[in-house]
Amino acid sequence: MIPMEYFLILAAILFVIGAYGVLTKHNAIVVLMCIELMLNAANINFVTFAAFNYDIVGQAFVIMSISVAAAEVAVGIAILLNAYKIRKTTTLDDPELTTMRW
Amino acid sequence: MIEYTWLVPFIPMMCFLIIGLIGRKTPEKGGYIAIAGALLSFLIAVAISFEYLTGPKFAAGQPVTESMRWFAIGDYTLNLGYYVDGLTCAMMLFSSFISTLIFIYSIGYMHDQGERKNRYYAEVSLFLTGMLGLIVSSNFLELFIFWEVMGLCSYLLIGFWSFRHHEGDAASANAASAAKKAFLVTRMGDVCLMGGLFIFLNLFHSLDYTTMFANIGEVAAQNSGLVTLALLLMFGGVIGKSAQFPLHDWLPDAMAGPTTVSSLIHAATMVKAGVYLVARAFPLYVMDADVMLFVGIIGGLTAFIAATMALNNMNIKKVLAYSTVSQLGYMVLALGAGGYLWALGYHELGALGFFAGCFHMINHAFFKALLFMGSGSVIHGTGTEDMRLMGGLLKKMKITGMTMFIGCLAIAGIPIFSGFWSKDLVIDVAMAAFQNGTGSAATWFIVLWILAVITAFMTAFYMFRMWFMTFMGEPRENAQHCHGESPKTMTMPLIILAICATISGLFMFFGLGDILAFQGVAIDGVHHGIELFTNPFTYLTLILAIVGIGIAYMMYVKKTMDPGKFNKDGESWLYKALTKRWWFPDLYNQISWKLGYGVAKGVNYVDRQVVDGSVNGLSAAVVGGGDTLSKIQTGHVQDYSTVILLGVSLLSVLVLVIAKLMGGF
Repeated sequence: MIPMEYFLILAAILFVIGAYGVLTKHNAIVVLMCIELMLNAANINFVTFAAFNYDIVGQAFVIMSISVAAAEVAVGIAILLNAYKIRKTTTLDDPELTTMRW
Repeated sequence: MIEYTWLVPFIPMMCFLIIGLIGRKTPEKGGYIAIAGALLSFLIAVAISFEYLTGPKFAAGQPVTESMRWFAIGDYTLNLGYYVDGLTCAMMLFSSFISTLIFIYSIGYMHDQGERKNRYYAEVSLFLTGMLGLIVSSNFLELFIFWEVMGLCSYLLIGFWSFRHHEGDAASANAASAAKKAFLVTRMGDVCLMGGLFIFLNLFHSLDYTTMFANIGEVAAQNSGLVTLALLLMFGGVIGKSAQFPLHDWLPDAMAGPTTVSSLIHAATMVKAGVYLVARAFPLYVMDADVMLFVGIIGGLTAFIAATMALNNMNIKKVLAYSTVSQLGYMVLALGAGGYLWALGYHELGALGFFAGCFHMINHAFFKALLFMGSGSVIHGTGTEDMRLMGGLLKKMKITGMTMFIGCLAIAGIPIFSGFWSKDLVIDVAMAAFQNGTGSAATWFIVLWILAVITAFMTAFYMFRMWFMTFMGEPRENAQHCHGESPKTMTMPLIILAICATISGLFMFFGLGDILAFQGVAIDGVHHGIELFTNPFTYLTLILAIVGIGIAYMMYVKKTMDPGKFNKDGESWLYKALTKRWWFPDLYNQISWKLGYGVAKGVNYVDRQVVDGSVNGLSAAVVGGGDTLSKIQTGHVQDYSTVILLGVSLLSVLVLVIAKLMGGF
């Protein structure tokens, strides 16, 4: 059996890649994708612990998490689409998109 | 009927509202409503007095009182109610009666004032409310409220001509500053009074007369120091309201108001309230002989100092104003001496002092209202207040002249006329206090007695000086243009008051001594009245008074004596001191500029710099801080997520460290 650490390390690597993407990428679409990476890293952790502890609740929770993530992406992309319609850009540090501040 | 006592102040209050709201549309701008209200109050007062004085409570020497709970703070219960005893009846009757006459007189005197009459009648009605409310109150809080109502009304009425004075802007400014002075000077006393009431409330947990009078002996035994302080503070209120030394200087300035207002303030309301307060709180005052001595000293000094200032004044109203202050001094002296004697255990003489003070208050109300209205009639006829411009008016104004002559006889203390009886009783009580007093107090009372006797002499002199200058001799400037006697509405009250001023002294032979009994010790008026004629001191004051009248006659009618010889034609030091009112106005100014203005500046500084400064500084710090911090909101979503990430990592590390330290894992 593959030891648990392998799964956890995989999840950690995925999470860090996601986080790196969120913090550095300029394109909002890419950032959304990176958020998905981070979410799935967390999902892997859920599944891993569920499997190793013989507890079905963790796996059930992952289903829930995936559906919420799907909804979240749908909303996020809808916002982006509208932002694009109005501002003609999806670049996050474009002055057109940083107007919601002081 | 007694249960309707609340109507007595209530009716003038309703008149105030009616005149204030719709008086403009009624004839004389509400004047008749004011008269009707005052008359109705008087009639109700008569009915109440009749019922009380014929009832069983009066025979038992007890008051009729009833009160309802107004509010309570902790175990301090404050009530509203009425309190009827002999003093209440006497005060109620003469206040409402004289006010009625003054209002009738106002119809004539204020006739040419146009729209402003509306304000005048509304304010005098409220003034009467204040006085009558004060009289029927059943506790000191209620009394204090009405006391302040009167303070407000006196301010409004003294300043009645502070807009568009018929003599020009200077007179307007004068009226305005006189009103302010009256308000602020009496306020000093009121603050003292309030302090005294706070102490009493603390000691008694109630301000009801009945509770306080019943328990004062016990409380005074336990807290004699506090009771003394409270009594002195309370007397501070009297000093302010009744224009006693050293707060007497507002009253002469208050002459800036219409003469009817002066009459109201001096005769029926306002200044009588102070004396009434001492009389009402007499059961408290007699607990402390030293306080009573102090009261007597203040009264005697006031009587003397005010009389000196009247000696050379040329303004007809100011002479009367000083005489009021002086007569108020007599009343306070009588109460002080009487209370002192009572405190020493001489109950008979103590009650006599109480009676003399109240009796003089009633007599004074009649003759002073008469004199003021007479002077108003003269001013109405000649258009000036300066006696140097009058003279020889008796031929043109017969009724005014004769009635004022009666008033002068009454105040000078000529037998039969009212002032004689009460004034000589006052002087008698001062003598008794000297004879029965102990230690330095006796010395004080003989000094006060001498002052009182000299004052009696001066009173006779200056009153007749005024009368002779106004009504005798050759007509001078304004007197020549005088167009004859004043209208009937003005002369009728004068005649009625002249009759009252003649006979009111005789009330003491018809049971006034029983009505004004103190704690059941009634005065045998007949006995004391007859005794006055067997007392050599009575003849002394009488002779002095006649000499005073004689000197006035020789100076101002016969001209055989030149007043200029005594004052070096107005150059002598004393004459100047008197015209400068013993420098009291200057003293007030100095105190208010140096002390008042200095304190005000300090307070202003603290308020603006410290209080406002700290609040403004705090708000500026918040605004500035918020401004700076808001720059963190860059609008870059990745900046936010960086912060979140760092925060979460930091928290996780922290949790781990804490768990490690607490011995987890």
